[in-house]
Amino acid sequence: MEPDRGERIDPPVLATLTTLAHQNVRPATPEQLRRGWSVVSARFAARQVRQRSLVRLSVAATAFAALVFLALGPLSRYWSQAHPPVSVAMAYEVHGGTVVDGGYLRESGSKGVKLIFAEGSEFLLLPGTRGRLGAVYNNGARIAIEQGAASFQVTPRAHANWLVDVGPFLVTVKGTVFTVSWDAATERFELRLQHGQVSVTGPVAGGAIPLRAGQRLVVNLPKEEITITEQKPEEAWTSSPPTGTGVTTADLPTNDQPSRGFAGQGTAESSVAVMPRTSAKRAWADAAAAGDWDQILADVDRIGAKRSLAEASSEELFALADAARYRGRTALARDALLAERMRYPGTARALDAVFLLGRLEESNLGGIRRAMSRYDEYLTRAPNGTYASEALGRKMIATSRLEGASLAKPVAEEYLLRFPSGTYAGAARALLKTP
Amino acid sequence: MPIRRFHVPLSLVADPPTSTVSDTELGQALVAGAVWAQAETWNRFAPIVFGMAARALGSEAEAEDVVQEVFYRLLVKAKSLRSPESLRSFVVSFAIRILKWELRKKRTRSWLSFNQPVMLVDIACEALDFESRDLLQKFYAFLARQAPRERLVLSLRYLESMTVEEIAKSMELSESTVKRSLECARKELLRWIETDLGPIGHFEGRRESNGT
Repeated sequence: MEPDRGERIDPPVLATLTTLAHQNVRPATPEQLRRGWSVVSARFAARQVRQRSLVRLSVAATAFAALVFLALGPLSRYWSQAHPPVSVAMAYEVHGGTVVDGGYLRESGSKGVKLIFAEGSEFLLLPGTRGRLGAVYNNGARIAIEQGAASFQVTPRAHANWLVDVGPFLVTVKGTVFTVSWDAATERFELRLQHGQVSVTGPVAGGAIPLRAGQRLVVNLPKEEITITEQKPEEAWTSSPPTGTGVTTADLPTNDQPSRGFAGQGTAESSVAVMPRTSAKRAWADAAAAGDWDQILADVDRIGAKRSLAEASSEELFALADAARYRGRTALARDALLAERMRYPGTARALDAVFLLGRLEESNLGGIRRAMSRYDEYLTRAPNGTYASEALGRKMIATSRLEGASLAKPVAEEYLLRFPSGTYAGAARALLKTP
Repeated sequence: MPIRRFHVPLSLVADPPTSTVSDTELGQALVAGAVWAQAETWNRFAPIVFGMAARALGSEAEAEDVVQEVFYRLLVKAKSLRSPESLRSFVVSFAIRILKWELRKKRTRSWLSFNQPVMLVDIACEALDFESRDLLQKFYAFLARQAPRERLVLSLRYLESMTVEEIAKSMELSESTVKRSLECARKELLRWIETDLGPIGHFEGRRESNGT
C-alpha cells in the first residue's frame, strides 16, 4: 500500500494487522457462491412476480374505479329522484291566530291571520277568511284559501316554491305581491297582481294563465267568465281590501267595469282602433304581453280567421291561441294551435302546441282520450320539455278518469319518480294510496 | 384437431460466451435486463464483494448476507446504471453503501441492546498462530468501537489499499472529509496500539523490521 500524499508513515504493526486480515479471509467457495446466487435470484424473481401482480392489481383497481365512477352517475340521479333530500322547513310566525290540526288557520282576533316567514314573505288572511297552511318547505310553502280573501307578499328568490290553492285554482308564485279571493258560494275567483308574475291553473279553458304586474283576473265559474283587465299597479295594491274591515270576496273593490261575456268579449274599456292589417298584426305580441286579448280577437274578427291563421307568424299564432283560450273561444284556439303545428313544424312552439291541444281536448266533452294521445305525443317528443311535468300530470288525471285508478297508478309512480315536488305530486300520492 | 402453423421464422439465439464479455458489454446487457448478464455479474463481482465485506466485518457469515443484499439491490437498480463501462465501480459503490448501512445497523443495535454484543470474529485461517489470532481478534474489537464512517474509511484504506480519491468517490464524500475521517481513525488506531498492544506492537514491529 503506497502512502497517500501528506500521510504519515504507519507503524509496522499496522502492516502486520492488514496482512493478518488478508490471510484470515479465504476466497468465497463455489458452494458459497452457488448458494448466494440462488438466494439472490429467488428474491429477485419473487420481486418481479410481486411487481407484475401489483401492476395487474392496479390496472384492475383503475378499471373497477372507472366502472364505479360511471355507474355512480345514473345511480346518484336515480337515488336523488327516488329519495329527495330531507329539507328543513322554513321557520314562520303566526300573528292574530293559530295553526291547529290539519294546518287550519284559526283566527283569534278580528284583524285576520298573518303569517310571516323567515325569509321575509308575508301572507295576510283577511278577517273571516278560512284557510289552511298545507305544507312548509325550505324554499316556500303551500297555503289553501277555502273562503275569503288574502294578500301575499313573496320575497323574490331563486328556486322559490310558493303555491296558493284558491278554491279549485292553483296559483304558482314567484317573487310577487298580489291579492287573491275566492267565494265558494258564488264560485268567483279573483286575483289582483301588483308586482311580479304568477300563473293560475284550474278549471279554465286550456292550460295555465300567466299574469303580469297590474293585471286583474276574475273567473266566474257558473257563468264560465274569465276576465283579465289592466289597472295601474299602485291601484291594484291600494284597492286591495284593507285589513280588519271585514270585507268579503264579493266586496273587493275594482277599478274596472264588471266582467262581461265569456266568449271574446273584453271589458268595456277595451277598445280597438281600426288600423292597417300589418300594424295590427304586429301589435298582437304587444297586446298579448299586456294581456289585451280582446284586441287580438277583434283584429281576427275584422281580418277573418282563415286569413289570420294563414298569414300570422309563429309568435302571432301563439298570441292568438292564448287570447282565444282565455276568452273561451276554444275552436279558434284549436285552429291557431293546429296552424302553429302545421306551418312551423320542428319549432319549440309547435311542441308546446301539442300539449295545449291536449288541454283543449280535455276541456271538451268526450275529448279525454284525444287529450291523452296529445300528452303521449308531447312526452315522447319532448320528455324534458317545458310542459313535461304538466303533460305527465294531466295524463295521470286523464287515465284515472277514463280507465280507473289502478291503470293510472303506474303513471302516478312515474310522475313521482320524475317530479317528486311537482304540481301533481299530491294527486299522485293520493292516487297511489287508493285501494 | 387441426394444428395451426405460424409462418414466423424462428432462429436459435445463443447467449454470448460470458467469460469473454467485457465489463462494458456486461453493463449494457444488465441494463437491458438480460438474464445471463445478471448471473455473469454475480459470478464476476460476488467474490470481490465477498472479500471486501469479510475483511471489513471480520465475519464470513455476515459477509455472505451483505453480498446477497448488494446483488439483490444491484439487480433491482440495474436500469439506473448510466455508464455501463463503469460497471465495476458501480458494483463497488453499491457494496460500500450496503456495508456502511450494515455497520450503522450493527452500531444502532448495540446501543439499543442491554448487553454488549459479543464480538464474533471468524478466525478461519488455520495457518495463523495463537498470537496472531489474538491480535486479529483485538483488531476487530477495536474496529467495532469506531463510528461506521471511520471504520469503513480505515478498512478501505488499509485493508483494501484504496486511495483517498477512490474512497471519496465510492462513499460519495469529499476528499477532505475522507482525509479528516482517516486522520481521526488513524490517531485512534495508534493510541490503541500504544496502550493495548504495547509489547505486542513492539514485538510485531521488530518482527516486521527483521523480515521474519
